[in-house]
Amino acid sequence: MPAGVELDVRGLTKRYSSQVSVGPISFEVREGEFFSLLGPSGCGKTTTLRCIAGFETLSAGSISLRGVRLDDRPPHRRDVGLVFQNYALFPHLDVFDNVAFGLRLRRVPTVQTRERVGRMLELVGLPEMAGRFPSQLSGGQQQRIAIARSLVLEPRILMFDEPLSNLDFKLRIQMRDELRRLQRRLGKTSIYVTHDQTEALALSDRIAVLSHEKIEQIGTPAEIYERPATAFVADFIGSSNLLQARIVERNERGTVIETQGGLRLYCAGGAVDSAGGDISVLLRPERIRVAVAGPAEEGEPNRFPARIAEITYLGEDLHLNLELAGGQSLRAALKNSIAAAGLAPAQQVHIVVDPDDIRLLHT
Amino acid sequence: MGAAAALGDPRRALCALSVGAADRAVCQCGAVQCPRLSPTKVVLPELTFANYLKIFDPYYARLFGRTLRLGLVTTAICAVLGYPLAYFLARARPRVLALGLFLLIMPLMVSTVIRVFGWIVILGRKGMVNQALVAVGLEPVKLLYTETAVVIGLVNIFMPFMVLPLMASIERIPPSLEEAAQNLGASWPQMFLRTIMPLSLPGLISGCLLVYSVSISAFVTPALMGSPRERMVGQQIYDEVLVSFNWPSAASLAITLVLFTLLLLFAALRVTRRAGRLEIRQ
Repeated sequence: MPAGVELDVRGLTKRYSSQVSVGPISFEVREGEFFSLLGPSGCGKTTTLRCIAGFETLSAGSISLRGVRLDDRPPHRRDVGLVFQNYALFPHLDVFDNVAFGLRLRRVPTVQTRERVGRMLELVGLPEMAGRFPSQLSGGQQQRIAIARSLVLEPRILMFDEPLSNLDFKLRIQMRDELRRLQRRLGKTSIYVTHDQTEALALSDRIAVLSHEKIEQIGTPAEIYERPATAFVADFIGSSNLLQARIVERNERGTVIETQGGLRLYCAGGAVDSAGGDISVLLRPERIRVAVAGPAEEGEPNRFPARIAEITYLGEDLHLNLELAGGQSLRAALKNSIAAAGLAPAQQVHIVVDPDDIRLLHT
Repeated sequence: MGAAAALGDPRRALCALSVGAADRAVCQCGAVQCPRLSPTKVVLPELTFANYLKIFDPYYARLFGRTLRLGLVTTAICAVLGYPLAYFLARARPRVLALGLFLLIMPLMVSTVIRVFGWIVILGRKGMVNQALVAVGLEPVKLLYTETAVVIGLVNIFMPFMVLPLMASIERIPPSLEEAAQNLGASWPQMFLRTIMPLSLPGLISGCLLVYSVSISAFVTPALMGSPRERMVGQQIYDEVLVSFNWPSAASLAITLVLFTLLLLFAALRVTRRAGRLEIRQ
């Protein structure tokens, strides 16, 4: 086993019926790492988490924590903390008793319990709430208490099941940043389940993208975004222009492809092997440069005339729908800067795509 | 008997209101048997607390003691057996739930007499239980016409009164709370004691209250399955109304029973009000 691996999930499979099953899913979580399971609902990410916590039994595969098999232990003997989506605070206990719940089960002496709970409430910034009941707390406060309740037991791994999805937008951003600071400070190995890609990108050291009960790609946020392994990942993470294309020519300088919309693009990136030359092409909208129409500059291979079909004003950003000669349509995203101020629908512009910004993927 | 005079005394008023019409018919038949009363009247229009004081007589005190004790035992057994059943049903899939509820409510749909005959087959001197005991080489035991038989009969019929309110309050506890408790290191029994029990306390209290109040006023089951020498208050009231025609005495027993039940109800309300504040608000 490689050093520094905290949790090792091998071939995790959960069958509910002959039709419905999850896995096999394999991944490793390294010590101190913030690891996210990202995917649309129904992709098996929550099932994976519940298997690690012991609320679901595996149909096949294994889960090991520091080399010790975990999957045959009951949920209360696993030493993995879980923060629930709805926080699951005990409504009949006040904040102090909620946080002290696990300590009392472990028969920690009263003085020590008081000290550890106090320290935890201090850590999550709610020391004055000890006497309140969960129903008297806001969503964000309940969230922090739920985290404190798990953290006070000093689990090997802290797991989060969509913890921010019940909070409103601003609070979600604030809690997200707070969560990251807390995790970095404590260096606690964490697994985070979410369907929200911005959360996963902002928080994680590494992300596993799941779809249809399988792992599509595991990588750092930048790897997942810049070099998606599959068309699904490219489409799921960020917004994207995903075009069907075929390879026309290949040489040492790069690859020439032609999209179904008739666009000929020079790509610098390594080509994918594809029988018959059919591939998918990813163009990130924010990597498409939009220039007011003018003469083509020398050395710019991917420059095309286009017409602005639609502009969506989003405050920080402008989203453009562009129509190219030959009927190909593309989406572009611009920062709302002075350069973007002059753009209007039906205007003729040029778009420029850097050959390095084009990703070729298997269809 | 004069209605105006009767109304002066609430306990006789109650008695007169409920059996006012029958009262006269009985008097005209001259079938009054109670020697302490006028031979032509079931009720004398004189105010007296004698009927209440007599509850402290050893006979009546034992009667009440036995009734309350059997009620308590029945309630306790219903709670112990009903909790797992209520939990199982509250967390069951809809199809299992429908079947379970049907089986649970079945005893209420069967005539008491038929149910008791069923128990006679099982508990009788040569019943199934004793046959089984003999078959494994043990002495047969007397089950039928004992307090045990009464408790078995009462638990059988009143179980739904315990399970239904318990079920309703367990259903409202999110399963994630159980998982949270287990995740924090609680074994299943610890989880049950520390989350399910306190959170379903209002259901437990209403269940106990219901079972207890219907148990202490039970009549048919103790009459058919119990010993004639170990009766419950319900049987005594029945006898005093229809056998000894001592209606004031019957009324005093009935009112005492009602007051006792009311007292329990208010006590329970106080406890549930406190517990209700801690219930899940969502």
